[in-house]
Amino acid sequence: MSFLLTCPNCGTREVTDFGFGGEISARPTARPSLRELGEYNYFRRNVAGVQREWWFHRSGCRAWFIAERDTVTNEVLLTELPRGPGSPESVA
Amino acid sequence: MSRLPPQPGERIDRQSVLRFTFDGKPVEAFEGDTIGSALFAAGRRTFSRSFKYHRRRGLLCCAGQCPNCIVAVDGAPGVRACVEPVKEGMRVEHLNAQPGLELDVMRATDLVGTRFTPPGFYYKTFIRPRRLWPLYEKVLRHAAGLGVLRKEQADREWRTEYRRRHADVLVVGGGIAGVAAAKQAAAQGADVVLVDEGQVEPVPGVEALGRATALGYFDGMVPVWQGDTLHQIRAPAHVFATGAIEQPLVFAGNDLPGVMLSGGALRLLERYAVSPGTRAVVVSTNDRGLEAAARLHDAGVTIAAVADLRASATEATRALQTRGIAVLQNHTIVAAEGGKQVTRATLGGVEGGNGAAVGGNRAAGAGGNGAGAAAGAEVSFECDLVVVSGGFAPATSLLSQAGARTAYDEARGHFVLADLPPNVFAAGEVAGHADPDAAARSGERAGRQAAGGSPEDAADQPIEQAPTAVPPPVAGQTHGKCFACLCEDVTAKDIKLSIDEGYDSIELSKRYTTVTMGPCQGRMCQLASIRLMAQETGQSLQTVGTTTARPPYISVPMGALAGRPFQPAKRSAIHDRHRELGANIKWAGDWRRAYDYGDPQQEALAVHEAAGLIDVSTLGKLLVRGSEAGEFLDRLYPNRFSDLKPGRIRYGVISSDAGRIVDDGTICRIDEDTYYVTTTSSGAGAVEEWFSWWLADWQMDVRLTDFTQGLAAVNLAGPKAREILGALTDLDCSAEAFKYLDAKHATVAGVPCLILRIGFVGEVGYEIHFAAAHGEHVWDALMQAGREHGIRPFGLEPQRILRLQKMHILVGQDTDSESTPFSAAMPWIVKLDKDADFIGRWALEHYAQEEPAARLVGFTLGDGYVPTEGAVIIDALGAPAGQVTSARFSPVLDRVIGMAWVPAPLARDGATVAISDQGRTVSAHIQTRPFYDPEGEVLRS
Amino acid sequence: MSLAFLSPVAADDVAIARSPMERMAKAAGAEFEVRDGWNVAVRYAGETAERTVAWADVSHLRKWEVEGQGGEFGVARREGDAWVCPLTSDRALVIGGAEPSPTALDVTCNYAALTILGPQARETIARFCALDLRPQHAPPHSFRPGSIARQPGMLVVEAEDRFLLLFGWATAEYMWTVVADAATPLGGRPAGIETIETIEATEDTDA
Repeated sequence: MSFLLTCPNCGTREVTDFGFGGEISARPTARPSLRELGEYNYFRRNVAGVQREWWFHRSGCRAWFIAERDTVTNEVLLTELPRGPGSPESVA
Repeated sequence: MSRLPPQPGERIDRQSVLRFTFDGKPVEAFEGDTIGSALFAAGRRTFSRSFKYHRRRGLLCCAGQCPNCIVAVDGAPGVRACVEPVKEGMRVEHLNAQPGLELDVMRATDLVGTRFTPPGFYYKTFIRPRRLWPLYEKVLRHAAGLGVLRKEQADREWRTEYRRRHADVLVVGGGIAGVAAAKQAAAQGADVVLVDEGQVEPVPGVEALGRATALGYFDGMVPVWQGDTLHQIRAPAHVFATGAIEQPLVFAGNDLPGVMLSGGALRLLERYAVSPGTRAVVVSTNDRGLEAAARLHDAGVTIAAVADLRASATEATRALQTRGIAVLQNHTIVAAEGGKQVTRATLGGVEGGNGAAVGGNRAAGAGGNGAGAAAGAEVSFECDLVVVSGGFAPATSLLSQAGARTAYDEARGHFVLADLPPNVFAAGEVAGHADPDAAARSGERAGRQAAGGSPEDAADQPIEQAPTAVPPPVAGQTHGKCFACLCEDVTAKDIKLSIDEGYDSIELSKRYTTVTMGPCQGRMCQLASIRLMAQETGQSLQTVGTTTARPPYISVPMGALAGRPFQPAKRSAIHDRHRELGANIKWAGDWRRAYDYGDPQQEALAVHEAAGLIDVSTLGKLLVRGSEAGEFLDRLYPNRFSDLKPGRIRYGVISSDAGRIVDDGTICRIDEDTYYVTTTSSGAGAVEEWFSWWLADWQMDVRLTDFTQGLAAVNLAGPKAREILGALTDLDCSAEAFKYLDAKHATVAGVPCLILRIGFVGEVGYEIHFAAAHGEHVWDALMQAGREHGIRPFGLEPQRILRLQKMHILVGQDTDSESTPFSAAMPWIVKLDKDADFIGRWALEHYAQEEPAARLVGFTLGDGYVPTEGAVIIDALGAPAGQVTSARFSPVLDRVIGMAWVPAPLARDGATVAISDQGRTVSAHIQTRPFYDPEGEVLRS
Repeated sequence: MSLAFLSPVAADDVAIARSPMERMAKAAGAEFEVRDGWNVAVRYAGETAERTVAWADVSHLRKWEVEGQGGEFGVARREGDAWVCPLTSDRALVIGGAEPSPTALDVTCNYAALTILGPQARETIARFCALDLRPQHAPPHSFRPGSIARQPGMLVVEAEDRFLLLFGWATAEYMWTVVADAATPLGGRPAGIETIETIEATEDTDA
């Protein structure tokens, strides 16, 4: 695995520059049942295809951003900074 | 000696003689010779012994493709003699033969019979009796593998280098097409790198790397190995002009020394003026093999016979006929025989074929794929050379790695490129353009496109080439072993057997028989094994398909991949002082740390009796600022920080949303909007990432700055600590003015410092944080001021004793990914009455209601035995019921203390548990309160 | 409470600030002078102007983190003696020069720094860093945060063939080793800041 990612702050770098934060999942907004809590903590969709996911520019600006990546081909379709509470990726 | 008079275009300098040794014996070579050409000229025919049967193997391809001439050079194994230039004084040794190449005892594996080593032999044979495995293993280890790494390898003076190179276009392959592509791309203004396995001519405006092999394709990055340098070349566009690889034929004895590919025979002749033999039998599926026969004839080699697998004559046939050489159409070779080298070749008729159509029919015909080939009358010829040409398969391996698809071409009998991904281009013979002019045009076109230009014209249709025959998958099996794979000694029968045993897909058969998994990486055997698979399973070759092409494309020394031997290390600003003090320095995470200064017990005692100084610069240090900083921390920690008063400190445990302990540390409020957070040394990076992750999501008015490396920190602790600190600062250090868990800003020895009064080690202690540039200055000043009080530096090990006495946990040592604040005996840290949500809240609400199965407690041991960390707590029946996480001898308490996870019912003062450790069982007494100063009176004094 | 403890400025001249590469520089033959409270390697025994590549410890350059100052990504602005390097849309790192504002956070000791210069500078950096520093892709004043020798770092292209590398203070000894190891076979040697200042002066004149 040696693809490139474009950090919204720093530009395009080798993937080894970054930390992977996994697929974006929504944190329960109200008190969850034990099953809901378990699913949030431990279950992943693990899609074969395009997925929105967190990345951390560990070797650069040390900021988190969001990428859309095809997990089959590693093609990165877009990267962007998170848009904050209320946005689709918000876990709050 | 088989050196010929000067040949046109030879690459040797006959004036310059080089000397080297082979297995200790001197060999002479000319400048420009390869090890292979020089040894062959000197009369050597056996170059190696095969992997499994230890059969003799000689030069086959003379192009670095096959495994037959792999030797060790100056102790480094895995060198291909046929392409490695001779250097004066080099020491060349054979591999895989004991005691020597000419007499190899392991040859018995071949002579005893094939039954001895079928595929899966090890797995089938050495499974019983089980108790004998250690013996088997010893023998097998010796028998397996090619070559031996020298014991002194670690000390070898061999500098290897990484070099990153960004380019606009990378061209792999420096033949006609590759050079044309590089020139054209450069002319378009692109920054071009051109690499080739052999010598490459300089191209203006292009960085040309010769004797450099592209090892693979990794998402646009191509590692290229060139001698001592591994170039990591990244380019947005690639041109692969990797040519084609001449294929051997599968027949009985096809591995004998003296059986050579037509290209190999010609390379010996034309480049090195070495005659590959005196009397040759030539067998070919194509014109190039026939042309080779003509050239060998012209160079003085007697052509005993020529077999053409095609039915009809071509121009090349007529060229031979004019030389008085007859060509047997519709014939192939069924056997080569001989002892040390080939002495006789047997030819036989091919059943009913007519050129290219043969393969087409066979591929389509289920079950009949080449079966019954080579029927009819057989004729034998004496010879010392068998030249074979089984066709030229495009070298698509790198292209496949880059995402290209291939499809089976029935007319040509091999797989051709069908589909290329964007920005990947193919040129020359790999793309079907064997004709030099067409190859150059395809190169120009690829170079133009790779440089971002338009193709301008339509791609040439590959020029109609003379037809080529598709050889039978195997011929002459009744005569002896027919090798599909030379690297791993896999015969046609082995592949049939693997299919019979159920490994009926090419990928499964590959893994079972190891065909294509040897040093040639499928160059010589992929097509052969697919043909055999198709014949045996009755599938078409397209259906059978190819195995996945994987890097590395060529065997490469591990040292070249490893690069320079530097490991990133973090060192505190005070590190040199620890060196000077003779500290025992070890890795602690990614830091180099002082474990002790020679006597951890005395160092710990000094903290109790006078004062100790420890470098804690490795602690994670985060500055959290902003109007919502307090609320931010309230959301991240189970306890509260928004109500912490400026100048005060509070302990905090970070929990995950699953309620598990992630890290711990102290949080000091500097002012209304500013907090100073410390984390564990090992958790510093992860906590910073954790904080910034939630901040990225919550988008609060908070700014994080990591000062882990920018600030040095020392902990001054002990009954004399107050006095020592007081001597260096104007600050009122009295117990009343500077209380436990107070934080003060003050100048210490002239340096502005943040001083945190905390008690990790259990005595009055001051954790002093200051700019790293002053690390040595502050350390020196404290040691100086403390000298009269008996101060001692103490390391990580005594600190571990001291903190264990206080039952202060080490996250990751005493806790694991299952531990919650409740089970780790810190329920007070969880404030479920907080109004706002916080990370871990829902899980912790759940755990608050539930009795944990195991709890973290302290224990003491009577008899002085210190159990291993990780020792097992066993229940009454002897079953595992928990584990010891920390254990030390405490010099101040004069007994062994520890912490352990025990079943919850036993987690009470006075209970006893059994610890099973290293074959002994000891009884331990549970204690839930700190071993030292349980009420914290000393700490607060 | 004050945040003065973050800053390497001592209250008196007893405490001299030291670079984490001081020991390495000393072993390589550096001569030191105290400048603005820092012990600085000013020159090396036998140092000549002729070089393929040289590296100089400039960890004493002051660094500040400032809020509300973004700028064009990937480009460092020259403001007086300082480089203003945008980290995010509202946060920048100021390298060198005087304190940019009273609210700026002193992060001097978070980053050690080396200047690498000379015709072989780019080739030297290619031995331990994957950043694309070809002139057409990283012209002077380019700013590139990214991995340097497998550690988080930042790089400013100060001029043609002259690069300023920033990396964690604690990794400095390792970085010196890596840079020296890469540069030495290319004919490189360490340089004192007098060399840097001379070159700077020349460049200013040229400009």
